[in-house]
Formats: sequence, C-alpha cells, structure tokens
Amino acid sequence: MIGLLEIRRRKFQFALIALIVTLISYLVLMINGLGVGLNDQAGSALRNFDADAIAYSDKAGLSVIRSELSQEQVDRITVETDAKASAPLGYMAANYLKDNGGVESAAFLAFDPGTIAEPKVVDGRMLTEEDADGLLVDKSFLRYSGLDVGDTVTISVRLVERDFRIVGETDEGAFFFQPSVYLLRSTWQELKYGNVDASTPVASIVLLEGKGLAGASGPGWQAVSKSTAFANIEGVSGQQSTVQALRAFGYLIGGLVIGVFFYVLTLQKIGQIGMMKAVGASSFFVFRQVMVQVLCISVAGVAVAIPLTWLTNRAIQQAPNPVPIAFTNGTFITTSVLLVLMAMVGAMFSGRQVAKVDPIIALGQQQ
Amino acid sequence: MSVTLKVRDLSKTYGHGEQAVRAVRNASFSTEPGEFVAVVGPSGSGKTTLLAMVGGLLTPTSGTIEVNGRDIAGLNAGQQAAYRRESVGYVFQANNLLPFLTARENLQMISRITGANGRAARQRADQLLEELGLTNRANAVATELSGGERQRVAIGRALMNDPELVLVDEPTASLDSARGRQVVESLIQEVKSRGKLGLMVTHDMAMAELADRIIEMHDGELNVRGKLAASG
Ligand SMILES: Nc1ncnc2c1ncn2[C@@H]1O[C@H](COP(=O)(O)OP(=O)(O)OP(=O)(O)O)[C@@H](O)[C@H]1O
Ligand SMILES: [Mg+2]
Repeated sequence: MIGLLEIRRRKFQFALIALIVTLISYLVLMINGLGVGLNDQAGSALRNFDADAIAYSDKAGLSVIRSELSQEQVDRITVETDAKASAPLGYMAANYLKDNGGVESAAFLAFDPGTIAEPKVVDGRMLTEEDADGLLVDKSFLRYSGLDVGDTVTISVRLVERDFRIVGETDEGAFFFQPSVYLLRSTWQELKYGNVDASTPVASIVLLEGKGLAGASGPGWQAVSKSTAFANIEGVSGQQSTVQALRAFGYLIGGLVIGVFFYVLTLQKIGQIGMMKAVGASSFFVFRQVMVQVLCISVAGVAVAIPLTWLTNRAIQQAPNPVPIAFTNGTFITTSVLLVLMAMVGAMFSGRQVAKVDPIIALGQQQ
Repeated sequence: MSVTLKVRDLSKTYGHGEQAVRAVRNASFSTEPGEFVAVVGPSGSGKTTLLAMVGGLLTPTSGTIEVNGRDIAGLNAGQQAAYRRESVGYVFQANNLLPFLTARENLQMISRITGANGRAARQRADQLLEELGLTNRANAVATELSGGERQRVAIGRALMNDPELVLVDEPTASLDSARGRQVVESLIQEVKSRGKLGLMVTHDMAMAELADRIIEMHDGELNVRGKLAASG
C-alpha cells in the first residue's frame, strides 16, 4: 500500500497525528471511566444484589429513601409476586464519628442473614442474628475511615450515638454516592424508628428473584426491574446524561480533529493526487490510501491511549480519596471501536477533496 | 507493436461567449508507426491543450482522435482514466514522482494502480531502471534524486504500463541543457526501441530537433513539417 509506505517514510508527521489521537482517546476513555465510576458510586451496592426486581411502596415514587413497607406489605409482596426468593431490605443514611471529631456519612443497608439481601464478605465474617452491634462495611469505607475489621465505630443517627464493631469487610461498592455499610434489619429498625411496635415499617424495599416480576404491583406496592430501580436512584439520570453528553462531544471532536488533520494533509498533496489520477488512478484508489492511513493512525493512537488510561486509573486508585472512576473491558472496547469509526467518518472530508482533484493539473505544474 | 495516431479536425474551446478561448483550432495530423514527434510553438499556442486531449485528460470540443483505430474523443471520465491507465505513459514537467517513494517504488506505483503489482512488475521496474542507467539509484527516495534522475525515473514510470502513447510536456524545463539532452535522448531511445508513439511538447528547438518530426503550433493552429536536423 502506498499509504502505508508514506507512513513509514514520514514517521514524524504521522506520529504527531497519532499523538493527537492518543490524547483525544485518552480524554474520551477517562470520561467514560468517570461515567462508569459515578454510576458505581450511585448504586453499585444495589446492582450487586442477587435480585431481578425490586418492590417499593407505591407511594415512594421508586425512591429507596422514601419507600417504607409494613410487615403485612412485605408478606403480601412475597405471596403475590410468587417470587423464587425475596428479602426485605432497609435503608438509612447515617454518619459515623471520626477520631478527630469529624463526621462522615455512609449508606446503611439492613438485611436478614441467609436471604438474598446478604452481601458477600471478603474479609472477617458474616453477621449472625446475635450481632446486633455488628457491622459489615465496604472496603471503601475502611479506606476513607482508616478503620479495620475488628475496630469499633460510633454511629450517629436521630440524636443517638451507638457503638458498633466491624466484623467483616464487603466489596459491594457504594449506594447514594456513599460507601455501603450492612447491619441487621432488627438493629436498623431500632436505630431508624426508635420504639418498635407493630406499626413500625420493617423494610424500605423488597428484593425479588424470579422472571417476569418487573411491572408487577398490588395494593400498596409496585415492583420494577433492577435496572429501572437503578436508573431511578436520585441523581443518576441527570449525572448519566451529563456524562453521555461529554462522551458524545469527545467522539465528535475526535472525529473532527482527525478529519481536519487528514483534510489538511490531502490539501497539501493535491499535486501528487493530480499526478496519480493523471496516470490512471481512480479517486477510490487514492482515497483508499488515505483511509488506510486513518485506520492505522487512529488504531495506533487508541492503542497507546488504553495503557495510559489504565496506568492513570491505577494511580488514581492509590490516592487516599480517589475520584470515582472505573473501567470495564466493555468500555475499553466500545470506546476504542467508536473512536476509530469516528476517525474514519472524519476522513470522509478528504474523500470529497480527492474526488474533486482534476488530473489535468498534472500538466500545469512547475517545479 | 506499431501504433498509429490520427487526429482530425480537433478543436478545443475554453469558456463561453466573450471569454471563449479557442486553444486548438481544427488540428489534423497523423503519425507513422514508431514515430517520435515534437510539438513546438510560442507560449499559449495550445501545445499542452493538444497533448491533454490526445492523452485523455481533456475532452475535445469537436473532432476525433483515433489511437490504433479507436476514437478516444468521446470517452467519459471513467473511460478516460482507463485509457490513460492502459494506453498512455506520461512524463510531466515536474512533480512526476511521489516524493516519499523510492525510484523503484515510483515505477511500481503504476502496477499498484493497475492491480498487477507482483514479482513481474518488480522485474520490469528494475529492467527499466537499468536501461535508464538508474540501477544504483533504485532504492533512493525521490527527494534524494537529482532533477535529471527524477525525469529519467519519470520516463521509466511512463513505460511501466507498456503504453501505446508516451506523452511528454516540457520534460527538460527544470534541467540544464546538457542534462536535458541526455533525458530526451534516453526518452527517444526507449520509445522508439519499443515501437511506441512519442509526442513531446517543448520550447527548446535543440530538443525538438532530436525528434523525427516537428509540429509547430501558432494560435491553436498546426503546421506540420519534417525533420529540421537535416538542414541544421
Ligand atoms: N483551463 C483553461 N481555461 C481557459 N483558458 C485556458 C485554459 N487552459 C489553457 N487556456 C488557454 O488556452 C490557450 C492555450 O493554452 P496551452 O496551455 O495549451 O498553451 P501552451 O502552448 O501549452 O503554452 P505554454 O508554452 O505556456 O505551456 C492559452 O491562451 C491559455 O490561456
Ligand atoms: Mg504548456
């Protein structure tokens, strides 16, 4: 390919273009990482439950914060949905006190051991019914607080302070942009509502496992799929549309910049293009050389951006208070493919230019 | 291979109405097989226009151009490109070569365009370079070649597709006269030894006299005459 030979002979110029592609790809990859990271922060703990659907009080407007369910409703949900498995879950926002007198907030999730609401413990042990003062905490909680499994932490809620022991560590992520902390549902009821009697809510939501549960409803409750539940977490949709917009701009600008670069290169080579067409090359033949170059340069640029992004991510994760950023193989792959595609689209400008060159200019050129 | 060219009543008018320029007017001539013809004349007399029409770069306003009996005056753009690819070899005044390719690769560019790039094409390129005395420059990038070397590579490039016509516009404009003469001599040698038809536009009478015949142009009109060399 003549296009490839040109890259080989003009390494420096093409390396510069590849560098620009690398920088843009890096930016877009980081934006994508932020999108995924923010999404995780918004509620990976919810997403990580072994549930297919989630039932709310029908007055909650799909808000976990506002949903409150009575024992009777929880029982009815279990019976009426005929779910394969179900588990009530309580939610509460509360602060814990730090050694220096400051407070940090965390998302408290209340479960019954042995149900599908139980998180996976990665260090320490699972809570049992006897652990009324025990907590499972997410590893991000341990990092922010500087605490460890076995330590005691003071929780402050409703003018009450209560000491808990961290008995295990989980890796379920965050909920409402706060590290998740797990406790027994009975303890949660006491903390959140004080004196417990028959009319005290017993859960915020019910996790449901089974097919075809999304959209089910009954007197006082409604169920939606886990992904709908996730999208309805306060702040998620706004934040995701912001990230989507940034991402779209990234692709657009990436395609545009590459398009403009190759357009300028093409303009500089009008004389050469005229000569090639004069000796019988079709516009398609010439344009193919340009496309091969765009493909090579954009693939090379993206290929350099991926390890750069990966290294940046590692550096960020080492930081004491990391920016929410996360990567999956999927985002790497789709982002890379889209960037290369956008580069090809951008190169179409050059295609028009190539087609417009009249081969007769080959006869008119002076040295 | 013996090639005949018959041009009849060929005209080209650029523009319309007030601005119309009749660059070539009712030109007629025909060539003997294996002839090398020079086209001379003052600037603006229509030499390049004539060459461009014969070479399928420009569509005539009227008239016919028969190459081995086939009229190429009415070809559309795609057919013109195919005609240039298959039947024409061009040597331009300048910028004949892709500057980032070596001498050999510039010849092979033609076989890439025709889709016949392979071992045979490489051998043909090397043979042409050898005939033109460029074997030791085969791997030099075009920008490293001298002006004369570049034009000789361009001659090789023009012969790569084994064309019927070799069309040349001011091949020596950027060269001093000694080098220019060398280039034109090797051009004539290559064209005639292969029985092709050569058509060369030049300002330089000394170069024109190397040709078999001279076509003089004046305000778009032709005046064909025999070889001047005999009288000079
Ligand atoms: N594209 C064009 N549009 C309008 N007029 C043109 C065009 N190309 C050439 N002409 C005119 O046609 C006439 C012949 O031009 P041509 O280039 O064939 O001359 P030439 O003999 O090759 O001149 P030179 O020796 O300077 O190269 C000139 O008057 C020129 O101005
Ligand atoms: Mg001219």
